[in-house]
Amino acid sequence: MSRILVAEDDPHILRLISLWLTRQGYTVVEARNGAAARDLAQAEPVDVLVCDVNMPGLDGLTLIAALRSTGWVRRGVVVLTNRWDHGDLRERLAAEGIQVLPKPFSPTRLSEVVAALLAAVPVEPGGRESGAP
Amino acid sequence: MSSSSAPTHTGRLFQDLLRGLSGLSGPETRSLGLVGPGAQPPQPPEHCLRLCLGGSADAIPKRGCAFLAAATRAEVRVDALHDGRCPVGCAVAARPVPVNGQPAVLLTVSGALPGPREPGADLLGQLDRAQALVQRVDELLAENAGFANEVLQNYEQLNLIFDLTREIAQLTESRAIERVLMQRLARLLVGQEAGVCSAEGEWRPAVAGESARVAPAALAALVAQARAQRQVQVGAAGDAAVIAGPLVGLDGRVDVAYVLRAPGAAPFNAGDMLLMESLLTFGGQILSNSTLHERLRQMSLEVVRALVAAIDKKDHYTSGHSERGGFLTRLTAQELGGSAAEQQTMEWAGLLHDVGKIGVPEEILCKPGKLTPEEFEIIKQHPRMGWEILRPIASFELVLDGVLYHHEYPDGTGYPEGLRGDEIPLVARIIHVVDTFDALTSTRSYRAAYSIERALEVIRAEMGTRIDREAAEAFFRALARYQREQPNDFAARFGARRNAGAEGAP
Repeated sequence: MSRILVAEDDPHILRLISLWLTRQGYTVVEARNGAAARDLAQAEPVDVLVCDVNMPGLDGLTLIAALRSTGWVRRGVVVLTNRWDHGDLRERLAAEGIQVLPKPFSPTRLSEVVAALLAAVPVEPGGRESGAP
Repeated sequence: MSSSSAPTHTGRLFQDLLRGLSGLSGPETRSLGLVGPGAQPPQPPEHCLRLCLGGSADAIPKRGCAFLAAATRAEVRVDALHDGRCPVGCAVAARPVPVNGQPAVLLTVSGALPGPREPGADLLGQLDRAQALVQRVDELLAENAGFANEVLQNYEQLNLIFDLTREIAQLTESRAIERVLMQRLARLLVGQEAGVCSAEGEWRPAVAGESARVAPAALAALVAQARAQRQVQVGAAGDAAVIAGPLVGLDGRVDVAYVLRAPGAAPFNAGDMLLMESLLTFGGQILSNSTLHERLRQMSLEVVRALVAAIDKKDHYTSGHSERGGFLTRLTAQELGGSAAEQQTMEWAGLLHDVGKIGVPEEILCKPGKLTPEEFEIIKQHPRMGWEILRPIASFELVLDGVLYHHEYPDGTGYPEGLRGDEIPLVARIIHVVDTFDALTSTRSYRAAYSIERALEVIRAEMGTRIDREAAEAFFRALARYQREQPNDFAARFGARRNAGAEGAP
């Protein structure tokens, strides 16, 4: 059962993503901010992190950097951005192999991206399953 | 982590609910739980399982506890409750409640182990209250799931609409906008076929399919109805569902957009109609804007042509000079890889470069023979005069550069500002080459026209001093390509000059 951590400060969006991914059969862990997400991932590593960029306290990009270096996110990261802060950010994230979905995102697209990340051979540096065949 | 039958939000909620209900328990109740089919998350109370079964809910029927077996099959009847007693002596009571559309049983087990007991009145009363609560929660959950579906669907649509706006924002041509709009609409409405029937009755399919051909009359009738009532209409063409709606353009023009589903697919509903209406309203506005934009562009073009005609009327010697200037400047800009918009602006600059001659007295402009230094000073005013004429036109920056600086030379000896080399805008350097070429290949009162070859030689000789090298080389390539690729056009335009050039003299 793949474990997905969703970090999003808007409670409605968080609920929506959680509901949608749960319906796809994933175990979803919800975090309202970056710090909570970090603690949750530390307590039990997750396969995929879905996270917002702008969050109070620990923002999305700092969170990603922290989690990727520790291997607490095993398979990959999906970042949700606002349409207007696209351009540069998107390119920068894509260069690091991070999936980017602009809000309002398509739920179908989100589950496709998550499924693709889970199906791919793990490439996370320091990822616990990265020794796969 | 419990697997495949995910501990859903619903499951968690029921666990919370049961925990809350346990608080309602009377003194003699030990446990309260839900028994559902297939070991769904609402489990029989652990206490009960341990006591009666020592296993999972699946094992209930095998363990011979008839009461629990009936309970898991949701067969417990209210009138049987008084008989409810577990073999080990606990009083049990149950009420059937549907959870998530599936049968389940709410179950209580009384605590007093020693000695057989019947369920007491308070136990049953508690069970009734719990049953009502579970039912209410189930209703709320069903409602919640419905809303969630709606929100998810809206989110999906919102995303498509955002993509559509972004995609359309990059388009200017109305047919292209219409096509993208219809393709998106077909996707949003799960259509198999989509298109537009124009106000003139022209059918323009955007997403091809076969259905429309099956029952063209039915489709045409619905389209006509949508046009007449200016409202979204739904119906059927053969066994395919159709939706049609007005795409209102400028001057009350009504094109009609239609989408057909695959034969046998569900008919369009109220939500589809709303979506169709809002997208067509949006699309109609975008299309109107693009038509307006096209009209404005057309108008600027006409104004430019009028100005050009005014210049050519004034200076008979150079009749056609502006038109050729525009054409050759565009050709050169194309050679240099300019975008379509840049080429267009360059052409305008080439067309309008001499517009300032309108302000030069005719007797000087058309004077046969050599000009006096004073007269030449007046002629030299024309770039600035042209600039002043065109300056009020917004978005003409590049054109203004071309007009003001087309007599600047790379060596700094030109006018009006004596700019040097790269200080001269590229558009002006190109116009200068083109201007020179056209002057040389035109007949003047004091000399016959040069041949093309001779004119090019003159230009080549002045490269680096009076003529910019980059612009001149691009011009040579452009002219050669034009001659190679469109020999007939080239001959029509320049053929006479080539012949005239045979006896050309300075």
